[in-house]
Amino acid sequence: MVVRIRLARFGNKHKPFYNIVVAQARSARNSKPLEVIGTLNPIPQRPTNLSDEEARSARPYKEISLDKSRAKYWLGVGAQPSDTVWRLMNLAGLIKPKPEPSKMQ
Amino acid sequence: MFTWLNGEGAAYKEHVPGQTNYITDVKARKKDPGARSTNRPFPLNPAFVSEPVLSEELRNEIYERVVVKKKSVRLVSHDMGVDMRRVAAVCRLVALERRTREEGKPLALPYARSIHEMVPTTPLYDDPRAQREMPHESINDLPAHRLTDAQIFYPVSESRHFTRVDAGRVFSAAPARNHDIVAQELADPSKAMTRITRNPSQIETVGKGDNEQAVLQPADVRIPHPALIDLERDRIARPNEMNAVIKGHMARLEEEEAAEGERKRRAEERRESRIQHVTPEESRFEFRFKDVVVSRETTGVDGRGAKAPGRRYGVPSDDRKKGQVKIPTRVEV
Repeated sequence: MVVRIRLARFGNKHKPFYNIVVAQARSARNSKPLEVIGTLNPIPQRPTNLSDEEARSARPYKEISLDKSRAKYWLGVGAQPSDTVWRLMNLAGLIKPKPEPSKMQ
Repeated sequence: MFTWLNGEGAAYKEHVPGQTNYITDVKARKKDPGARSTNRPFPLNPAFVSEPVLSEELRNEIYERVVVKKKSVRLVSHDMGVDMRRVAAVCRLVALERRTREEGKPLALPYARSIHEMVPTTPLYDDPRAQREMPHESINDLPAHRLTDAQIFYPVSESRHFTRVDAGRVFSAAPARNHDIVAQELADPSKAMTRITRNPSQIETVGKGDNEQAVLQPADVRIPHPALIDLERDRIARPNEMNAVIKGHMARLEEEEAAEGERKRRAEERRESRIQHVTPEESRFEFRFKDVVVSRETTGVDGRGAKAPGRRYGVPSDDRKKGQVKIPTRVEV
């Protein structure tokens, strides 16, 4: 069985919040995972306490917490990130972007 | 009705700008035309005092100092004689007013102007010393701490120095201090207090797990302006050198301000060092990766530790259940 690094949805209706978890691929989304290695808040946050010029150019941000050493360990032993987690880990500089599926056939 | 309006009531129809026109004043003036106005509007409730409000100039000056000149709220509160919480509220409200102006929404200015003419106001003095000596309100108030509610009978031997620091330790059931540490504190009390106010993270804690809490500190360090104690100490020690005392006080305030700025900067740096900012070209958003630790220490033996990242498993969220109090029930001081 494949071990995946994926998201588990928490939070209420219209207020999503995800745990970044390491779990067996065939287990249910919110079942108890092997390990929780971080969180993702997909709702963009407005940066505060900025001057007027800064506020004009500031981007809304998304909060992610991640234990990088645990993530590296699980990648090293062959855990497969889901597409979303792959993208996040690529942003964090842990892995290369997911290769495009080849269009040969 | 008209007899009252044309007779006694005529005095209330027009007000003199900058003066209160309370019913008590009018009655007093009827008896004695030279009577001075009081701040008690209700003749049958002399306990009610109408407190002065901040004048327009004073509140704009507070906003200017905090937001534009970037002075600390504590320093502005000290210089203006306005409570720290009120300084913060003034900044928020003036910012709101400016935003409303920018948006072109109407303001109730005539109303505000006439109210300010009729209630007592604290003016902005040209002399900074006058501002400090005639404060708007008491700025160094301290709410009673919950731990001090208990009445404790604590026998102390006569040979021992028992200071306020020790009293705080008794209230939070912390062990007594060694004699040499007490002697150090007594040798230079202001230095001992400064050490606590500058390093709040080094305050000792008692209790284990969820019951862990900081040892109750003496009022000297918990009050909003501990520097005023040093001023008073200095004033008693050197009663004939007022100028030197004030100068020393100002120097201490500046030093305190610099230390506070440095402390804030270091805290911000420490927080920032744990966050990685990523701004991809193709995205509208910035991604902030915070480093967290998943280990036996954070997750605990059963994997449910509160320090570990993520929402918990097998711990139901009770926030929709009956009887859950969501508004704060106490104030941490």
